[in-house]
This record gives sequence, structure tokens and C-alpha cells, in this order.
Amino acid sequence: MTKETEYAIEVDKLTKRYGDLLAVNAISFTVRKGEVFAFLGPNGAGKTTTVEVIETIRTPTSGKVTLLGMDVTKKKHDIVPRIGVLPQGFSSFDRITVRETLQYYSRLFCCINTDIDGLIELVNLKDKTKEQYKNLSGGLKQLLGIAIALVNDPEVVFLDEPTTGLDPRARHEVWEVLLGLKKKEKTVFLTTHYMEEAELLADTVAIISKGKVIAMGSPGKLIENNANYLALTLQSVDEKVFEIVRKMGFEPVLNNHKDIQIRVEQTDDVQKILNAIKDAGALYLGLDVRKLNLEEVFLKLTGEALHEDSPEMEAK
Amino acid sequence: MTPRIISANLVVKLMSIYREKSAMFFTIAFPIILILVFGTIFMSQDNVEYHLCVQDLDQTKSSVQAVKTLALNGKFMITRVDPAVNATQYVRDNKVNVALVIPKGYERSLMQRMMLNDLNASVTITYIYDPSSSSVITKMEILNAVLAGINQKMSGNPPFIRSAETSILTKKYRFIEFFIPGIIAMAVMTLSLFGTVNVNMELRQKGIIRKLSTTPITRTDWILSNILYQFILAVISTIAMLLVSYAVFNVRLHLNAWLFAFIVLDVFSFVGIGMILTRFAKEAQSAAAAANAISFPMMFLSGSFFPIELMPGFLQTLARILPLYYVNEGLRASMVFEDNMAALKYSSIIGIFAAVVLTLGIIATKWEEG
Repeated sequence: MTKETEYAIEVDKLTKRYGDLLAVNAISFTVRKGEVFAFLGPNGAGKTTTVEVIETIRTPTSGKVTLLGMDVTKKKHDIVPRIGVLPQGFSSFDRITVRETLQYYSRLFCCINTDIDGLIELVNLKDKTKEQYKNLSGGLKQLLGIAIALVNDPEVVFLDEPTTGLDPRARHEVWEVLLGLKKKEKTVFLTTHYMEEAELLADTVAIISKGKVIAMGSPGKLIENNANYLALTLQSVDEKVFEIVRKMGFEPVLNNHKDIQIRVEQTDDVQKILNAIKDAGALYLGLDVRKLNLEEVFLKLTGEALHEDSPEMEAK
Repeated sequence: MTPRIISANLVVKLMSIYREKSAMFFTIAFPIILILVFGTIFMSQDNVEYHLCVQDLDQTKSSVQAVKTLALNGKFMITRVDPAVNATQYVRDNKVNVALVIPKGYERSLMQRMMLNDLNASVTITYIYDPSSSSVITKMEILNAVLAGINQKMSGNPPFIRSAETSILTKKYRFIEFFIPGIIAMAVMTLSLFGTVNVNMELRQKGIIRKLSTTPITRTDWILSNILYQFILAVISTIAMLLVSYAVFNVRLHLNAWLFAFIVLDVFSFVGIGMILTRFAKEAQSAAAAANAISFPMMFLSGSFFPIELMPGFLQTLARILPLYYVNEGLRASMVFEDNMAALKYSSIIGIFAAVVLTLGIIATKWEEG
């Protein structure tokens, strides 16, 4: 029986092993209906395994996963028509056109009233309807994949690394479409290793590393909780500034022999430093004050780099 | 099972192959090329005429008449060799595999035998031959038979043992009529086996099957649409082969429900084997290699191209455990011999085989990830 809850997805102590390899280690989290939930982590962290268990592609080793109130291991038949999936490394039939591909998937879902034109417009593929899949660029292929994921008007959309391997322009095109989904209040489960993607799109971000969720919350909350200081950068300073700041009890770091970076606890400290420099008659040509971003939070939490723009990935 | 989903899948597969011209070529044209090539070879063998070089060293009326007699037999096209040349050198230089030399004194010996009834009078006709040639033995056997016939006639007595030919078939058939059913069986096997392996491996490697597993299409829908697709291709290919066979070689075959039944069983058997290979092969290349390893012995040992009776005993035993042998024999039983009981026997054997491998293939087909 379907259970009505405020959560679209509930994951409880999910574990997945491949032989001796522990891919996902007893993770638990929930995704609220209507939110964009980003699962953030480097390759091999367990993102895709987790999402494929939720999508009913894989079976968990242990733990419980509920999607739209239904156990994913028992109710695949009922779950599948209510979800849309863009799998990692999405591909389709080479010689079938954009429109034919959407019609095909629509027939698989037995959707008589699918608005194929509306979907094509949504993903900006109006000029490519008669183009065969093999002739589309990487970005356009991903957009078609997103349109396919929406063909059955799903309640939950899973997008597994939708922008991996795309150039910046194509990546922004995909983001535009995903922002449109967000406006429509679709529940979106997004896995990514692009921090700016998560910051831009997600209501909630879960950071996964080595099969465990190590932090979860809104992007702002994650930054606030994990970055309780500001980074002040003074540009093109003269020689005296470094000593002035050091004598005030801060720990300046010289960068490029011209700029110095100072970690400060409060905004008042910024003013104090600027006043001290002015009083000493020293000079600086510019300044920058900012909080840490999600990427730096990730680095702090995991000690791992997140971006993996290796040449192979870009070539995908 | 959802007919709507099966038909959607079928349409996509048919559109894909229709737009892939090279795949279409190999599906339709390849077996037709085989029929045209082998058909032409076999048709010419039905009316074979050998090239024979003859050097007449006697140069008399009788020796000229002897050469004409050889030509009249209809089996030989005669080329005369100048008596002045060295016959052995001529054979070497002109790459002919046999030259017949009529010795000097032929007419004199003939007259002694015919007029004077001198039984000691005889001539020796020499064959100068190249033993490395594969057809030379056949040529010399025919020559021996012709010379034996001439000797027998010269004796003036009627032969004691005569021969009479009675065909087990009601009509006279040519080798091409036996060949076409074998090619149909082989082409359907190749299509079904390689079609299943190549398409499934490609879709699996590209992740399309993983995507499809998140849609309402079930494993049953997927397998049924695959079988239906392979069956449609097999029917198209068979029709094309039959049209060419009738148009070019004017074959006389019996087309009945058995043909349809054997195509279905051929498709079931080799789609089943293809599904099993797809499950256990890690890469597309290893799957294709495994499919080759299965199909090649089947092509050459199961009697598609030539009768298994021409093979050594142990290979004949091996042929009888190959599933394609039963499709070949079943198709010949129905299309050539009109033997319904034999067709029933062969269809039962291949039917049991098809049921087993198809069941195993369905069990082996992986739809969800582990």
C-alpha cells in the first residue's frame, strides 16, 4: 500500500556491496516532495550506486529505500511509471530522430497525451526534431535525455550527472532547463560533482564521500556551518602592510609577492585592518572579502578535490 | 506482455536497420551474393566440359578420327598440339593439367587389329599430366572410361553388364535446388545469431538497456520484440533469396508451411544462443568472437554448402549434433523431397533444441543490474 508522506524519497541505512567493495555504507537521508536535492561527491563516492538503487535499477545489500511511499525492492512495477530517469552517460538509438525518440519513450510509458512539442520546446530542441541522435552534440544529447526523463510527466526526476563532460555553454543550457523544472516544483534528485551546479539548483545538498553522507543541508547552511570565517584579500599592497596585519594578531599569507590573504572571524575585523593600514600611511590597490564557497567546504570536509575535469571526462 | 510496447520497440529496431545501409546490405544482399556465386559454379558443374590438349604424332586419317571421337563424347573441348613440340614442355609452359599423346604408328596398329585380326597389335596413348592439379584425376578417369568404351566397341561384342539410372525423386533436380534450402538455413542462422549478439551488446554497452529498465518495458516485452524483429528480417531475407533463385536459376522448389515453420525454429534456436552469449560475454568483441566460433563450424559442417556424405565419418557424426543440420535436412525434406514425415522428424528435433536454448536465453537475459 502506498504511504502518503511529505517525503518523495526516504533512504534508511542503505548499504550496497559489490563483492568485497563497500560502495555505499549505511547512508540515510530524505528528500522532500517538490525540492531539488543534489547528491554531491567525486567519482567513486557512491552517488550513482545510491541513485540506481532508488531508481530500482539495482538491489540494495541491506537497508530500506522508499520512493513515493513504496519499497523500491518490491514495487518496481508501480514506481517506474511515476519516475523519470536520465542515467549517467545517457545514450539512445543512433539512427532515430529527436521526435521519434520521444514518441518511442512515450509509447513505452503508454502515454497517449504526451505533449511532444511542449517537451521539445522545453529543452530547446525545436530546430533539431528531425536530427538523428548520432548527429547531436553532447549537450543536445543530454537535453534530449532530460526530455525523455520527462515524457511520462513524472513525480520524481532523477538526473545522474547531467552536465558531466559538457562544455561551459552546453552546461549552462542544461542548467536553464533544470531551473525551469525547479520553477515547476518537480522533485528532482540530482547527482553531480560540479559545485556551482549544486549551489545554483539545489534546495538541499548531501555530500557523499567514500560511501558515506558526511554533511547535508541547504547550500547556505552548509557554508555557514562549515565556514565560520571570512577571507580578506588585499591586492598590490606595499611592503609595510604585511607587518602591520601580523602585529594586529592575524596570520597574513603572501600571495604572488603583491597580494596578501587574511582569515578574519568577523566583519568588524576587516574594518579594523583597513583603518590600521590607513593610519600607518600604507597603500593597497584593491580588496576582496568573501565567505567560503561550497567547493572549499567540500575540501575542508573530505580533504578531496571535487572537480574531475580530466581530458577523458571532457572528451565524453 | 504489452503489445503496444512490443510494437514500439519493433518499429524503432526496424527503422534503425532500414537507415543503416551497410547493415541492410549484409542482411539482404550477402546471402543473395552467395546464391549467385555458388549457384553459377554449381550450374556450370551440371554441364561441365573439360579442356583437353591432344598431340597427334601419327597425323593419319585414323588418328584424326580418334580425336574427333573424343570430342564427340561431349565432355571434352579439344586443343590440338603441334606434333613438333615437346608435349611435356607444352604442359609445363601452358599450365594445362593434361595432354594426351597419340603415338606414331596408330593407324598401322589399328589396321593390323581390324583387318588382320592381330590381337597382339595395340597402341599406348600417353597422358602427360600435372599431379598438382585437383581436377586432373577426374579428367583422366573420364578419358579412361571413354577409351574403355572405344575398346569395347572395337571388340564387336555387345556389353554383358549394362547400367540403368532410377532417381528417388519424381522430378529431375539440379544441385542448385539442394543448395538453396541450405543457404536459407545458414542465412537465417547468421542473421539471428549475430543480430541478437551485436544489437544486445551495443545497447548494453551504451547503457540503453539500463535506461529501458527504468521504463515500463519488461524483459518479456524486450525479448519478444527481439524475436519478432529477427523473424521479420529472416522472412525478408528468405523472400529475397527465393526471388533471386527463381529469377536467375529457375529453381523448382516446394514452398509450403514447413518453410515458415523451419524459419521460426531457426530464429528461435539462434536468438536463444545469441541471448546466452550476450549474457556471458564481457565485451562486444568477445561476444562476436564467440558467435563466430559457433557459426563457422555450423556453416561448413552441417551440410549447408555440400552434402555431409562427402565428409569423413567422424565429421558426419559431428554434423548430426549441430542444430543447423536439422534445419538443412528439414528444409530439403520439405522443399525438395516433399517428404512430410522426414520434415516432421527434423522439425521435432530442432523444435526441442529451440525450446531449450530459448528458455536458457530468457533466463540468462539480464534486465536489472546486480
